[in-house]
Amino acid sequence: MNRALLRISLACLVMFVLLLINMNYVQAFETTKLAGEPGNVRVFDEQFTFPRGAILATGDGTDVKIAESLPVKGTDTYQRYYPDGPVYAPVTGYDTMYSTTGIEHAEDSYLSGTSPRLAVHNLAALLTGKQKQGATVELTISPAAQQAAYSALASDGGHAAAVVAINPSTGAILAMASYPSYDPNELTTTNGTKLNQVDQQLLTDPSQPLLNRATQMILPPGSTFKIVTSSAAFSTGTVANVDTTIPAPTILTLPNGHTLHNDDYEVCGDSNPPIIEAFYLSCDTAFGDLGMKLTAPVLRDYASKFGMNSSLSSFPLPVATSVLPEGTGWTDPSYTAYSAIGQYNDAVSPLQEAMFAAAIANNGTLMEPYLVQQVVGSGLAVIQAAKASVLSYAVSPAVASDVQSMMYEVTHNPGGTAYLTAGPQATGGITIDGKTGTAQNGVNNTGLNDAVFTCFVPGTNGSPSPIAVGVMVQGGGYGADAAAPIAVQVIKAYLGAHS
Amino acid sequence: MTVAADVDRPVAMPRGRRRTELVMLAFAVGVVLLAYAAVGLGLRGKLPGLPADLVVFAALMVAAHLGIRRFAPHADPLLLPLAALLNGLGIVMIYRLQESGRNGNPGLQVTDMSSSATTTQLLYTGVGVAVLIAVLVVIREVRVLQRYTYTLGAVGLVLLAIPAMLPTSHSVVNGAKVWIIFGGFSVEPGEFARLALAVFFAGYLVSKRDVLALAGRRVLGIVLPRARDLGPVLIAWAASLLILVFETDIGTSALFFGMFVVMLYIATQRTSWLLIGVTLFLAGSWLTALMVPHVMERFTVWLHPFAGSNPTGIAYQPVQALEGLAFGGLFGTGLGQGQPYHTPLVQSDFIFSAFGEELGLVGVMALLLVFGLLVQRGLRAALAVPDPFSKLLVGGLSFVLALQIFIIVGGVSGLIPLTGITTPFLSQGGSSLVASWILVALLIRVSDAARGPAPQPIQDEGMTQVVRAG
Repeated sequence: MNRALLRISLACLVMFVLLLINMNYVQAFETTKLAGEPGNVRVFDEQFTFPRGAILATGDGTDVKIAESLPVKGTDTYQRYYPDGPVYAPVTGYDTMYSTTGIEHAEDSYLSGTSPRLAVHNLAALLTGKQKQGATVELTISPAAQQAAYSALASDGGHAAAVVAINPSTGAILAMASYPSYDPNELTTTNGTKLNQVDQQLLTDPSQPLLNRATQMILPPGSTFKIVTSSAAFSTGTVANVDTTIPAPTILTLPNGHTLHNDDYEVCGDSNPPIIEAFYLSCDTAFGDLGMKLTAPVLRDYASKFGMNSSLSSFPLPVATSVLPEGTGWTDPSYTAYSAIGQYNDAVSPLQEAMFAAAIANNGTLMEPYLVQQVVGSGLAVIQAAKASVLSYAVSPAVASDVQSMMYEVTHNPGGTAYLTAGPQATGGITIDGKTGTAQNGVNNTGLNDAVFTCFVPGTNGSPSPIAVGVMVQGGGYGADAAAPIAVQVIKAYLGAHS
Repeated sequence: MTVAADVDRPVAMPRGRRRTELVMLAFAVGVVLLAYAAVGLGLRGKLPGLPADLVVFAALMVAAHLGIRRFAPHADPLLLPLAALLNGLGIVMIYRLQESGRNGNPGLQVTDMSSSATTTQLLYTGVGVAVLIAVLVVIREVRVLQRYTYTLGAVGLVLLAIPAMLPTSHSVVNGAKVWIIFGGFSVEPGEFARLALAVFFAGYLVSKRDVLALAGRRVLGIVLPRARDLGPVLIAWAASLLILVFETDIGTSALFFGMFVVMLYIATQRTSWLLIGVTLFLAGSWLTALMVPHVMERFTVWLHPFAGSNPTGIAYQPVQALEGLAFGGLFGTGLGQGQPYHTPLVQSDFIFSAFGEELGLVGVMALLLVFGLLVQRGLRAALAVPDPFSKLLVGGLSFVLALQIFIIVGGVSGLIPLTGITTPFLSQGGSSLVASWILVALLIRVSDAARGPAPQPIQDEGMTQVVRAG
C-alpha cells in the first residue's frame, strides 16, 4: 500500500501547492483590482482611518496648504479640509466618501498612498510601525495670483468667468480660478444623506458651480485669435513685417454676399493701415481679409501649433479641447474670414487663452502646461517631479518678436483697445502686452458679448517672461473693460509676491 | 501488477523525542502568546495583560504533552506542537473577532458571535485534550478498532442521519441541517461520523482488499470488482451521500466522497478507482448543479463573483472574503487592525480569510505550511506503520485533512466553488475542534506504533520443543 500512499502524498502536495499559488495570485497580483471593485467596504472605511496626503500651493516659494486631512475629535478618523475652499476648488476638486474630482482625483493614488511607487515607503512604514500616510502633492499654483484671480472674478458682477495664469518659460500653471465656485468642505461630510443633498444642490444649480470654467468652458476667442492669424501671416510671409500695410475696408463683402464690418462701423486707420495699427485697433475687416488670403487649412495649422485641436491629455484636470474645427464646407473663404477673427466655430478655453500669450511671451515656444510640481512621500523623498517640456514650436522667435511688439501697442498706444484698462496708468508702471477680444454670440449675435483678454508681462534684460494670463468673462461685454482689469490684478498680485 | 509484489517494508524512524516535542511546543505556545499581544496592540494600541485564557491554554498543552509522554512515548514529536499552534492561533483570532466592536475596541461586532466565544473555544480545547489523552489511554493499538468495523459504520451512519430526522428547530444553523441542538448545546455529528466511517472503510477494505484488487470483470480495460464485494461499501457511501444532499451540506459530502475513493485506492492500488471516482464526482457535481438551484448558485458565484448585483447579493460573503484577502496584501494589516468583521460567518467557515487579511500572504503561507506539515507527518506515520489497517485508516484520515483544507481554503480564496465546511483547529466550534484532536490522537497513536520498538514475539521461550508422545 505504500506506493499508493506515496502517490496520495503527492496529491496532497499538489493541493497545497495549488492553494499557495492561488493565495499568491489573490494577495499579491489581484490586490489592486480587488481594491478597486465598486463597493469595496474596506477601502471605503479605510479612507477615514489615515491622513490623506495634503495638497500644497507652492508657486510663491512657500508651502500653502489648500487641502489637508485633519483628525476628527473624539474618533480615530480623519476628515478632509480645504482652508480656502471656493478659491482653490477648480484645482483641488473635492474628495467625498464616494468620489473625487480635480487634483484629488488625478493624484488619488499618491494622496491615498496606494500608488505602487509608494510601495517602498509603505513597507518602511509597516516595518517601523508608523502610521500609513498619503503622499503630499505640491502644485505650481501661486497663492497670491490665485487669491487675486478669484477675488477679481467674484467682484466682477456675477458673470461666469475664469482666469488662467501660466509661467511662459516652463508651462507651470500659476493660477486657475473659476466663478461661480463652490465650497468643497460641504462635500466632506460623512453623513450620506447630507452629502447627497449638497451634491444634488450643486448639480442642479443653474450657475454650474462644479464646472471648472478655466479648462472646461469653451467660448469664441474673438479678436484674441488675431494673434494666431498674425502669426500665420508673418510665418508664411503673407505679411512681411509689422509695418506692412493691409487692406482694412469699413465693410468687407464676403464671397457669399454677407458683409463683415468693424465694431460700430468704425473706419480702420486710412483703410489700408500697417498691420500693427489694424492689430491694436482690432480691425475685423483687415484680419478677415487676411484670413481669406491665408486659407482655412493654414489658419487651422497655426491654431494647432498654439495648442488648439489637442486634448492635452497629460494635463491632470479635465480639459475641453479648444478647436478650430473641420466641418462641412469649413474651407469656404466666407467662413474663414470669420474664423480668422475668432468667430464662427472657433472655441477656446481660458487655459488656451493663456497659452496664446504664453507662446508669444516665450519667443514662440509653447511649453506644455502642468500643475503638479512634485509629489513628496512621507519621508520627504521626492517620488515624482515635473520636468518642463515643449508642447510645440508655435512660431519662430522673429515672428514672436513681431507679435510681441503688436501686443505692446494694444496696451501702450493711446489708440490701443486696452490702453485705458491695461496700459501703464492702469498697471502702476508694470508693462503688460496683451490682446483684447469681444466675442459675439447667441443667435444672430443677439447674446451678450463674451469678454476675453490674453496678455503677458515681457521679460526684461534677458530674463524670461514671468507670467501670461488668459481671462474669459461670459457675457461680460468688451474684453478691454471686463476682462483686462482682472488680468491686471492677477499680474500685480503675482509680481508683488515675487519682487 | 500483483498484490503479492507489494510488500510493505517498515520505514526506519528515530525513537521517541519527547524533549524535542516540549521545546517545539513551548515555541508554538510562544507564538500564540505573541499573536495575542499583537491583537491587543492592534485593537487598543497597548499590550494586554496576561489573560487567564492563555495560561489555561498553555497548561492544557503541557497536559497533552505529559499524556503523550506517558502513553505514547515514541510518537512523532511534531504532531502536538503543530496542532497546538493551529489551535492557539484559532483561539487568538476568535478572541480578536469577539473583541471587535466590543469593550471600546474599534470595528463592528461580528454577527452571531457571543462575548464569551473565546472562553467557549478554550473549553472545547480542554475537551479536545482530554479526549486526546483518553484515546491514547483506551486505544493502545489502533488495529483494535478493526474489531468494531461494522459497529462504527453503523454509528457513523446514525450520527449522520440524526440531524436529517430532527425537526428544523433542533438541527438547522445558518441554513445547514447538520446539527443536533438541545438547549444551549449544539453538536455537529458529521465531524465525528467522518472518523467513524473512516474506521469502517478501513476495516472493511483491509479485509476485502485482496478480493477487491484481484477478482472482477474487465470492462473497457478497467477491472470492475464484483458487486457482492463492493456492495456494503457502496451502500454505506450512497447512504451517507444521500443524507448529506438531503441535509444540503455539499462540502462534507465531497469530503466523504474523497475519503472513500482514496481509501479504496490505497487498499487496492488500482488507479482505475481514482479515475472512476473523479469521473463520478465531476458528473455528480454537474448533475447536482443542474438539479439543485442552490448548487448552481455556488458555481455562478465562483465564476462571476463581481458580476451584476452579485457582490451585494448571492456573492456577498465570498466577495467580502476576497476583498479582505486583497486588503491584507503581502504583509497583512496586522492582527486587530483589519476589517474582517465585514465578512459574514468570518469566525467559522471564513476564518481563513480573517487570517489572510490580518497576517497577509506571508502569514497565510505559513499557516498552509503548518497544515501541510501536519498532513505530511500523518502520511509519514501511515507509510511507516506495518499494520495495514492502521496504514489505511491514517492514510485516509491524513488525506481527508488535506482535502478539507483544500476545499475550505480554496473555496474562501476563489480557487474552487465555495462549500461551507470548517477549517480544522482554526474555526470556532466544538465539534470540529474535538474531532480534530481525535484525529491527531489517532496520528499520534499510529506514529508511536511506527516509531516504537518492534513488538516482541509472543513466544520467547527458546527453541520450540517437540514433545513426542509416548
